[in-house]
Amino acid sequence: MNTLSSLGTSRTRSLMPTGLVLVVGAIIVGVWGDQYTGSVFILALCYSIVTAGMAVQIGFSQQIAFSQSVFMGVGAYGVAMLNTHYNMSVLEATPIVLVASAVAALILGSVVTRASGLALAVATLMLPLIAVGYVSSAGFLGGAVGAPLTGNLWPGSTPEAVAVGGGLVTVVFLAIAVFIASRILTSDIGLELFVLGVDERTAAAMGVRTPRRKLELFVLGCVFAALGGAAYAGTQQFVPETLVDPTAELALLIMLFIGGRRSIIGAVVGALIIQYLQGAWNWVSVNILVVEGLLLTVVLLVDPEGLAGIVNTGLAWLRDRLPEGRIPLALKIQPVIAGQNLSAGETAETAEAGEFALQPVTVSIPVLPDGAAETETRTPLLAVTDVGKEYGGLSVLDDITITLPSRGLFGLCGPNGAGKSTLLNVIGGSVPPSHGQVTLDGADITRLPPHERFYRGVSRTFQAVHLIGGRTVLDNVAVACLSSHQAGLATRVVRSGLAEAREKASQTLDDLGMGGMKNREVSSLTLESQRMVELARALAARPRLLLLDEPASGLSQDQRRRLAVLLATLGERTCVLLVEHDLELVAQVSERIFVLSAGRLVFDGGPEDFRASPVVNSLLVGL
Amino acid sequence: MKFGNLVIAGLVTGSIYAVFAVCVSVWYRVSNILNLAVGDFAMCGALGVDNLVRVRNWPLPLAIITTLAVVGIFAFAYDRIVLRLAQDGPRRQEGIVITFFFTFALSFFIDGVAKMLFGSDVHAAPALWNGQSLTWASLNLPRAGLLVLGCALIVGGAFWFYIRFTLGGKAMEASGENSLGARIVGIDTRRYRMLIFIGTAVIAAIFGIVESPITGYTYLSGATISLTGFLAAAYGGFRKPGRALLAGLFIGILEALLGGYVSAEYGDTVMYAILAALVLIMPRQLGFESAVGG
Repeated sequence: MNTLSSLGTSRTRSLMPTGLVLVVGAIIVGVWGDQYTGSVFILALCYSIVTAGMAVQIGFSQQIAFSQSVFMGVGAYGVAMLNTHYNMSVLEATPIVLVASAVAALILGSVVTRASGLALAVATLMLPLIAVGYVSSAGFLGGAVGAPLTGNLWPGSTPEAVAVGGGLVTVVFLAIAVFIASRILTSDIGLELFVLGVDERTAAAMGVRTPRRKLELFVLGCVFAALGGAAYAGTQQFVPETLVDPTAELALLIMLFIGGRRSIIGAVVGALIIQYLQGAWNWVSVNILVVEGLLLTVVLLVDPEGLAGIVNTGLAWLRDRLPEGRIPLALKIQPVIAGQNLSAGETAETAEAGEFALQPVTVSIPVLPDGAAETETRTPLLAVTDVGKEYGGLSVLDDITITLPSRGLFGLCGPNGAGKSTLLNVIGGSVPPSHGQVTLDGADITRLPPHERFYRGVSRTFQAVHLIGGRTVLDNVAVACLSSHQAGLATRVVRSGLAEAREKASQTLDDLGMGGMKNREVSSLTLESQRMVELARALAARPRLLLLDEPASGLSQDQRRRLAVLLATLGERTCVLLVEHDLELVAQVSERIFVLSAGRLVFDGGPEDFRASPVVNSLLVGL
Repeated sequence: MKFGNLVIAGLVTGSIYAVFAVCVSVWYRVSNILNLAVGDFAMCGALGVDNLVRVRNWPLPLAIITTLAVVGIFAFAYDRIVLRLAQDGPRRQEGIVITFFFTFALSFFIDGVAKMLFGSDVHAAPALWNGQSLTWASLNLPRAGLLVLGCALIVGGAFWFYIRFTLGGKAMEASGENSLGARIVGIDTRRYRMLIFIGTAVIAAIFGIVESPITGYTYLSGATISLTGFLAAAYGGFRKPGRALLAGLFIGILEALLGGYVSAEYGDTVMYAILAALVLIMPRQLGFESAVGG
């Protein structure tokens, strides 16, 4: 199956959850909206709006921020105050509350999203604690008693019409939330977010503006939560203090994880299940903590991707057992979920595709396409001047000076701990030097973050393979071809550049003779193939400076020979800095070799001198 | 003397946080799992002993022994059933996030069961050291508070000694640093994980019993204490019990001073804002980078 047709189906997939929510929601609210069942459903919809945002922020992008219950409170209390004091209907109050929430989230987020990982989680864990302390003491919000809504709520005269009208508006709110979330996740920025979630460092090295994306995600999560809160206030007509406390935050997380943290529909279903269990049986309502605890434990044990994961596994199992052509339509429908970009047809093709067989001599490397190719070779492309790096009192790099021209392959060797990877990280931008300067084409890039260097043509691989598990080879390479880095999250509701990125990636893979493995999931590949995919990803960006960190590590002799041929070809097209322990490989392919020892440059010369050098022999060969 | 008394009150509350922070960081060190359920074991200890003594008229020592035994057996069963499946089973759960959510679920489950068994009212285990507060130079020293403080220092010191100076402590540390590597050199990592899990659960339960006469517990108290203990552990970089202990004491004193001097109503709010700011201003110094990396 070709890439473009699979994209067509992914676009449809982003609309399907929205349609599902609209149709099912409208039917249930229309039929049961004024009854108890309907009221439980509507309450669940309010929480679903929040969990849909959490699926994007927490599940998909792994940015664990405990801010949802707080912003649900902002939305709910905001609507309650505007309704009670200014007699605004919920539809009038909601846009005002959403704008205020977005501004507040932007200010708060620009501070808290500077933190990563656990620091972000812990810093934001304070938010519900602060909020509940504030709300319980703030008289105008009703304190521990809560805030009732006393103005007009929704257009409608009878209480039944108000209930159904409020329910329908909530369905529309949820459909909008699901639409936005699905569109973003199936776009090129969705791929960026997935990489960000798996490995922030790789994301930055591949050009993802991680600080900006993290802030956008925070704001998105908060605005969705505020929308859920506004719907909550409008439909429940009362805002309790408990809406913002840490237990409410944990309950939201439980809904998300039970449904499936990386699935929009799963997140919605998780909220529905928990609310329904509470509403349907009194015993469950009284003992909800036991039920939630048991349910979450069982679901996580069976599948960490929650119910969405269980359903997907079940569908895959069924698909394997049904003869081709007899797959019911329903089984071809996949929820919008991470890493599932294959349709049934592709899976069948994938099973046949073997590991790639690199055609080393015939490869046409897609490097250096533009006018830069004609640049005078002797002009230094990279200049590292007096670069040093100290950790505490320990000097890891000591006044290193290296210049590289715009083409050629250059080896960097040294014993373990010599500072090779640190130097590569300093050039790549993931480690700032303590002193010294790095210039690219004469421009000082010493203080530029990794993504800015990526835009200027610096591309790299890592010592340990840093691929994005759960995605195909094609998507892994497409990460380096994204044109979305400058675009805002919100633009992806309208358009997506994922098709173009996949097309470019596909071209690169074809050029490298790796076309057969495009649709394989990367974790199913051998180490050699994984290293090749990483190399293909670095090449797909059409780099001017390629940094390779031990690409031969873990490869067999045969595989190394194939790699050597490929590296030699690369060196003819672009500038490659190769860190490697295999001295023979380095001597074979490099035109110039640098040797580091204890952070100092102890050798700089051609391969013949390298082989003959007593310094090199005593240091690296032990002669 | 307001300041002195506030510091003493803060030290007492702080030592509760400190003990939970120590338990969280020690178990994290051995298992790489952040345990949010430690406080719930404390609540079980307090409410369990209260229930056996007050409702069923059991003698206090028997009630304490029975409660601790039940907590220990429950922790053992949880390790054998859930943690083994989650960590050692065919579908090994990777990543700090997923394992963290197992303890979320555990915390919810324990709270729910406690609500079923003990109801929703505030109760406390009988005081272990009866009598009026001791006074010294116009400082007020409540007996239960002194017991709590003493226990905190003993627990913190014992873990510090164990990790620093004993072979078992080193093996425990290796289990967390590199589970596979530790197993290759003959360390039974599962055993360490189980022992520390049961140990921290029982220690937490003892603390609940000792401390509950001061504050009183409901079935939801565990989660709140866990959260603050968790924060204190966070300030110790999650892996350093000694720093976690100090952080717990610091948070307790800060809470008491803010409550006494700034505002009784908004004291906690200000404290959490200060703690959040600290994480954002100096994440590296507080050990967050290493915790994420490890």
